[in-house]
Amino acid sequence: MWSREHKPIVGVFGFSGCAGDQLAILHMEDALVDFFTSADIKFFHMAQSHQEVPEVDIALVEGSINTSKQLEELKEIRQKAKIVVSLGTCACYGGIQYLGSNEDVFKERMEYVYGKEGKNPEFLDLIGQPQAAEPISKYIKVDVMIPGCPIAPENFIPIYTKLISGLIPQKYPYPVCVECKFKDNDCFLLKGKYCLGPVTAAGCDAICPSIDVSCVGCFGPYEGSNYPSMIDKLMEIGLTEEEAKRKLRMFGGDVLEKNLDGDN
Amino acid sequence: MKTYKLPKDKFPNFINFLSNKGNLYGPVKQKDQHSFEQVNEYSEMDFNYQRTILGIKKFLTPPRYITQKFDSESVEDIFPQSETNIVLGIHPCDIHAVKILDKLFLDNIKDPYYESRRNNLILVGHSCLPDKNCICQSTGTDIVEDGFDLFLTELENHYLVWVGSSKGLYLIASAENLFSEDITKEDIAEYIRWQKSRSEMFETSIPFKYMPDIIHLNYDSDVWDEFGDKCLSCGVCSLVCPTCNCFNVEDKIVMSADKGVRERMLDSCTLPGYSLVAGGHDFRPNRTQRIKLYYTHKLKEYIGKWGQPACVGCGRCVSYCPVDINVVTISQALFSDVYEEMVCDNNE
Repeated sequence: MWSREHKPIVGVFGFSGCAGDQLAILHMEDALVDFFTSADIKFFHMAQSHQEVPEVDIALVEGSINTSKQLEELKEIRQKAKIVVSLGTCACYGGIQYLGSNEDVFKERMEYVYGKEGKNPEFLDLIGQPQAAEPISKYIKVDVMIPGCPIAPENFIPIYTKLISGLIPQKYPYPVCVECKFKDNDCFLLKGKYCLGPVTAAGCDAICPSIDVSCVGCFGPYEGSNYPSMIDKLMEIGLTEEEAKRKLRMFGGDVLEKNLDGDN
Repeated sequence: MKTYKLPKDKFPNFINFLSNKGNLYGPVKQKDQHSFEQVNEYSEMDFNYQRTILGIKKFLTPPRYITQKFDSESVEDIFPQSETNIVLGIHPCDIHAVKILDKLFLDNIKDPYYESRRNNLILVGHSCLPDKNCICQSTGTDIVEDGFDLFLTELENHYLVWVGSSKGLYLIASAENLFSEDITKEDIAEYIRWQKSRSEMFETSIPFKYMPDIIHLNYDSDVWDEFGDKCLSCGVCSLVCPTCNCFNVEDKIVMSADKGVRERMLDSCTLPGYSLVAGGHDFRPNRTQRIKLYYTHKLKEYIGKWGQPACVGCGRCVSYCPVDINVVTISQALFSDVYEEMVCDNNE
């Protein structure tokens, strides 16, 4: 029979984002005691004072990479971690800030904020040179992705508990529509309202459609997405092609960048 | 099979009586849609409905349920509590769907998790009138003769109540004063006229009896690519299909201890990864292959194994596919130019 061999060492690291995924962990009130006792939490950006990056079995990494110093720290985490998990949509796909990652857009905005001469304020020495937002997978090998904006405990906990138990989490891609139908919900698209359920990874338990709010895609892209057909459908219900693509890009990050082939 | 007559004004009394016999479920209107929900009394239900999103499989193979719990020493099966769940307002197509599920889960190798849920269930059918998405006349499932415990046909002033099982007879016998056995010639004439007018109300028809052969002949047709290009791989068609029952199995571990549960979750063959096997080979990596699998299995392959196709004409795929891929559009595409001729022929 199966049992755990040892208590793993876990680190929770945070880069650019709203820190909502770390907060989501701290908000899992029913599971919080178990979270802090079932593993040896050696590093938790939001819950502890900052310290050196330790050697860990599992690194949960939140946020996109936006500065040169973050990139150095990310590489250090990869070296010191056996398993790296990208936590939340920013770490997985770049997040909303990825919308400004186009080289021209990024340059324009830097100039707008910091002036044409490119004079950086002093605190940039502390955080490093700014760079366009990228998902952590752009720079390092990621073993497991747990998207969400923020992550949902009901999706995070089963994957995390497998990891701390030395088991391989099963990756079975399905879209929000599956969880939505589980709840007997009506379909927005059929009522002529936009919804990104068919192109969005599940895990949220269809929380928004269940309270009559369209899915905006915050769990990031669903692997089986059919973008051309989705765009056709959105145009059929009255969106322009540009509006449809903008909605797809909002949480789609690098995956949508590749799939929409650089058009607007 | 016995039949009884129930005056319409006694129907709420009968339902209130049933609420003492078990947990009641029935069609409840929620926003623009009906679904089978637990109810306490007659007034919560709306029997004048077309279709629910999830059919009776919601009770038999629920979207997510635990089959086992385990720890480092042992494994234990988890069955639902033994109790009576009475589901009211089930249309003939959904009863046919339960008959198909029963064959699959109980005929050869019994699935104990299904069986325990099925044994708890009492099915009370209810007559219905078709809308434009109903194709049960084409599939031959517009009338149901068995598979229910009770079936109520709504006529002008009363219901005709058909008894389909001893459980059903017991329910009637214990509320005897509500029912009469006095079925007159006029009642029979009214019933026949009702059946005739209902059968004339169907707007949509498909050449269903030819489908198995036509699917076979079209196996390599480009038609499937067109549907594959359009399909969103969202899984909705099979999740709402009352006979689709594939499930995925996943173990969930408890964070604090060496124990966990094994969970079944409704799956769909239109999802990527459905045909992925150990070692990493995926038999159906693209949408065209998956949509073809769905329809060939449902409308053709099922016959070879179970003697009938697995479509009961409920119209759910017609109503709920966001991109209009359903048993009607599939048959139109497969029959192509001869579709209209074949539709007429099927109805004769």
